[in-house]
Amino acid sequence: MKDQLEQIRSRALAELADDAAEAAIENVRVRVLGRSGELTEIMRRMREVPPEERPAIGQLVNQIKAELEARIEVLQGRLREAALERELAAARLDVTLPGAHLPRGRLHPVTQTIEEMLHIFRAMGFEIAATRDVEDDFHNFAALNFPPDHPAREMQDTFFIGGGLLLRTHTSNGQIRVMEARRPPLAVVCPGNCYRRDELSVRASPMFSQIEGFMVDRAGKITMAHLKGVLTEFLRAFFGAGTAVRFRASFFPFTEPSAEVDISCLLCAGKGCRVCKQSGWTEILGSGMIHPNVFRAVGYDPAEFQGFAFGLGVERTALLKLGVEDMRLFFENDLRFLNQFQATVERLA
Amino acid sequence: MKLPLGWLREFVTVDADVDAIARRLTAAGVEVENLERVNAGFSDVVIARVLDVQRHPNADRLSLCEVDAGPLGRFSVVCGAPNVRSGMTAAYARVGARLRAGVHGAGGAATVEQAPPLQAAVIRGVKSDGMLCSERELGLSDEHQGILELDAGEPGSDLATALHLDDVVLDIAITPNRGDCLSVLGLAREIAALFGVKLKPPPITPLVTDNHRGEAVAVAVEIEAPDLCPRYAALPMEGVKIGPSPIWLRRRLELAGMRAVSNVVDATNYVMLELGQPLHAFDFTKLAGGRIVVRRAGNDRAMTTLDGLERALIADDLVIADADKPVALAGVMGGGNSEVGGETGTILLESAYFEPMTVARTARRLGLRSEASYRFERGIDPTGQVRALHRVASIITRISGGRAAGPIIDVEARPPELREITLEPDAITKILGVRIPRAEISRRLKSLGAGVRSERQRLIVTAPPFRPDLTEPADLAEEVARLKGLDEIPAAVPERPSAGPAVEDSSRVFARVSREVMLGCGLTEIKSIAFIAPADNQAYPGIGTGQTICVTNPLSAELSEMRRSLVPGLIAAMRFNLNREAAAFHAFEIGRVFMTNGDGSAPESERIAGISYGEYALAAIGRPGVTADFFTIKGIAETYLRSLPGAPRADFVPPAAGELAFLHPGKSAHIRIDGRRLGYVGELHPGEAMHLGLGGPCGVFEFDLTMLLAFGSSERRAIELPPRFPAVRRDLALVVDRGLAADDVLRAISEMKLNLLESVRLFDVYEGGSIPPDKKSVGIACLYRARDRTLTDGEVNRAHADLIERARARLGAELRQ
Repeated sequence: MKDQLEQIRSRALAELADDAAEAAIENVRVRVLGRSGELTEIMRRMREVPPEERPAIGQLVNQIKAELEARIEVLQGRLREAALERELAAARLDVTLPGAHLPRGRLHPVTQTIEEMLHIFRAMGFEIAATRDVEDDFHNFAALNFPPDHPAREMQDTFFIGGGLLLRTHTSNGQIRVMEARRPPLAVVCPGNCYRRDELSVRASPMFSQIEGFMVDRAGKITMAHLKGVLTEFLRAFFGAGTAVRFRASFFPFTEPSAEVDISCLLCAGKGCRVCKQSGWTEILGSGMIHPNVFRAVGYDPAEFQGFAFGLGVERTALLKLGVEDMRLFFENDLRFLNQFQATVERLA
Repeated sequence: MKLPLGWLREFVTVDADVDAIARRLTAAGVEVENLERVNAGFSDVVIARVLDVQRHPNADRLSLCEVDAGPLGRFSVVCGAPNVRSGMTAAYARVGARLRAGVHGAGGAATVEQAPPLQAAVIRGVKSDGMLCSERELGLSDEHQGILELDAGEPGSDLATALHLDDVVLDIAITPNRGDCLSVLGLAREIAALFGVKLKPPPITPLVTDNHRGEAVAVAVEIEAPDLCPRYAALPMEGVKIGPSPIWLRRRLELAGMRAVSNVVDATNYVMLELGQPLHAFDFTKLAGGRIVVRRAGNDRAMTTLDGLERALIADDLVIADADKPVALAGVMGGGNSEVGGETGTILLESAYFEPMTVARTARRLGLRSEASYRFERGIDPTGQVRALHRVASIITRISGGRAAGPIIDVEARPPELREITLEPDAITKILGVRIPRAEISRRLKSLGAGVRSERQRLIVTAPPFRPDLTEPADLAEEVARLKGLDEIPAAVPERPSAGPAVEDSSRVFARVSREVMLGCGLTEIKSIAFIAPADNQAYPGIGTGQTICVTNPLSAELSEMRRSLVPGLIAAMRFNLNREAAAFHAFEIGRVFMTNGDGSAPESERIAGISYGEYALAAIGRPGVTADFFTIKGIAETYLRSLPGAPRADFVPPAAGELAFLHPGKSAHIRIDGRRLGYVGELHPGEAMHLGLGGPCGVFEFDLTMLLAFGSSERRAIELPPRFPAVRRDLALVVDRGLAADDVLRAISEMKLNLLESVRLFDVYEGGSIPPDKKSVGIACLYRARDRTLTDGEVNRAHADLIERARARLGAELRQ
């Protein structure tokens, strides 16, 4: 019986040669290891073996069984690998073909500019307040110390919508609205749309965005020096650390002292060019210490409180930064323009 | 204001070049917008006196002249001009001089073509050492009938310098608060204060009166409206000969941007530019009764101004009248009826102070802005009237031979108030954030003409009368700051003043989150202008039933209303792009719309709207992508709602007849949350799509962002832990009426509140085949789960059978076989 087992083993191993085909392997497995295979037959005939030899024979059967199974496993593994190789070789794509795209929207450059600015202001401790576009004369003009006959109050410059209402001409109404409702200390920026009676053109738009900002605290706590500090930091954060900032005395009805703020021309870096009219500077925003009459209008005592305010035009600033000169680009919504901007609120670089 | 530097230098001596002056002025709030360098266009022409004139020996029309050019010597010149005579002062071009070439024009352009140097010539046998020049040869005007006669000048001195032909003109933008800078003197004062040098005001020369007549011209001045005219001064002059002004005067006016008219008018303009006091000259003989009455127009309804136009008056307009009628619109323009002309011999000069408001109103109403009104509107020196009359009289005497025909009549109905400002010791430091010594404050304010005195620790500052803008400490802080230079104020970062962390308005946060979702959905943000055509508002009334807002003074009919909806803007942007190569358009906008409710409240609110047209997503080579239709736009709207905090559950309700008329009636819906209509979604009406030239469905949605915010900001739901026991899914297909909305089926099942049923989800809708024509099959996946154990088959089967039984009863549904 031992010899018989040895015979089964060597025959099977011979058939399980390295190049054995799938069918041949299966053949051996069924004939030798199958439910009614040769090894099973041996086990059934164990009765015929003298009892003292039985353990050795049983051990041998198991040994052969394990050996053959391992061999079959190796061969089948090789065959599977070869099959996979063939399959992979056949399934080769042109990986340069375009992918199936998911759509991704872009953020409007004006929104992006506003968000970028607000991001800086938030980091500097300003809160962000929403304000209204439809306003009355008091909040848009009178409280901001515009004299009764100021040209800005004329039909020629300001849109009126009846009922004593108008479309705000600047976001400075935010100052009045916030101060009416609250008491200092205040550090607030108000972004929003403004309206002026200008045709849409390269330089102007009847609707545009501004950001108004102001900081108010006890008299002496917020000074012109702070105005300079805050705006200089903001402008350097927005335009780059190397930006030079200049303050020029100026006039606005709602600030006293008033200052225009210039930055070094972005195109020529202050050397003088066509865009800056050879001056090396570009006007960027208006600012000043809040006029005592503005405080009076909101019921603050100008002897008690003091602060600064500023306002800047978003589109103009965005144009400067982008180095393009046509305001209409922002309102035409040409995808070939809009698609050049990032798709995120936060600036990545 | 155009400021010729040569004129300025008459009043202030500054050791600085023009660029430095311009920089300093600009930094101090007097913005120099442009520098224009002008020059004579000729060289080596000097002033010379003609000593002797002889007839040319060989030519009747030519003269032989001997001219004295002072230190340069005497020269012999041949001259063809009829007006040459001995004793006159003329322009002499020396040998080597360069004159203008070609056609001559007036004024001095910056670049001028010059002829080759003048050479000594022999004219009809006589040598000529240079020439005497006409205005045309000097490029001053087209005048060439005779040579230029000068009214004064030192022989040998450079003509270009004497006539202010070489100069730099500063073009200065004056802010509305600085009326005092609308004069050469005012700007000179500013520069003197900035550079710390002394101001040299123009000399006031005594009046030259006509001693021959000994009898003054009788003039009466009355101010009937002292509220509008606190002061009126007048001076009669006689013996005036009207003619052109001398070159130097014309040149100055031209450089300052004014046109020369005639000597008297030019003189008044000259003094206005110099001192800032507008002046007017009447032909005295045309003033009825020899009277001046400053009054409101009252019943006078019209007058004709100097420009020949008839102007309608209103009762409150301030006029200057004679005994009968208005003869000038006070501070704006003179009347044609009293105009100075060629025949005028006696004039009355007016120098007054009119209240800024009255001049501004009249000038604005009539659309008539003059150099005078511009200055009155901004407030002139209320004390400068008499000085200006002295100054103009001396010039008129010099250039037109007129003499004062009486004393100056000076009626002061209301003297100006002195304005005193008390400065507490630290007032300016507190505003500027930098300590400035008292002595410096005092010095700087005095340099502007203010009076300053100390009272204990305080400074009492008397504002100069010509600075009505200085009324309180902040104004003085500005003066000190700008004279010192804003660069001298350090930049400092404040302690953060707000008490808590900086917050952002919730509507802004909401809008930002909304934007992120839209970008993720593949929509590009656009911005459109809030003005819209009435037809667009009618076609796209948006959400809400308020009344449309019309602009009282629109730019055009196409922009005459405020938008009710963002959709027209999106459609306009889509059209713009489809006309420019785009084949698809997927965009959104967040913005405000405007409507009034009956009570006038809430005229503006925020909206978010989107549009989707054409191929949308996931196309690849050989594989079609997803193209926009009702379900893609609805998917975007649903994705948006699901992304909001609180994920409000929305109902999509088909519109009733007549509602959402701009949308496809069968492919559109109101979007309701908690029973309120917050928006809509749908495909554009096929008629509209065809009108727009679209080749397929175009989806739009719009939400009321302001109302959504109320839901979106509700408290976050409690977090649920992931279930620990498995769910069992059982599908069923119910055959229901074809008209029954799928959502109603799901809701009916949800509302059964079966305790093991966790959720129901639609996975298929099938019509046709074995299903009766008026029915449809709705495939529903039911998920059963218990929180505390794994369900047995038996439990699930019983629950599911229960569900089917109830659905049959409730929906009239059959189980699909």
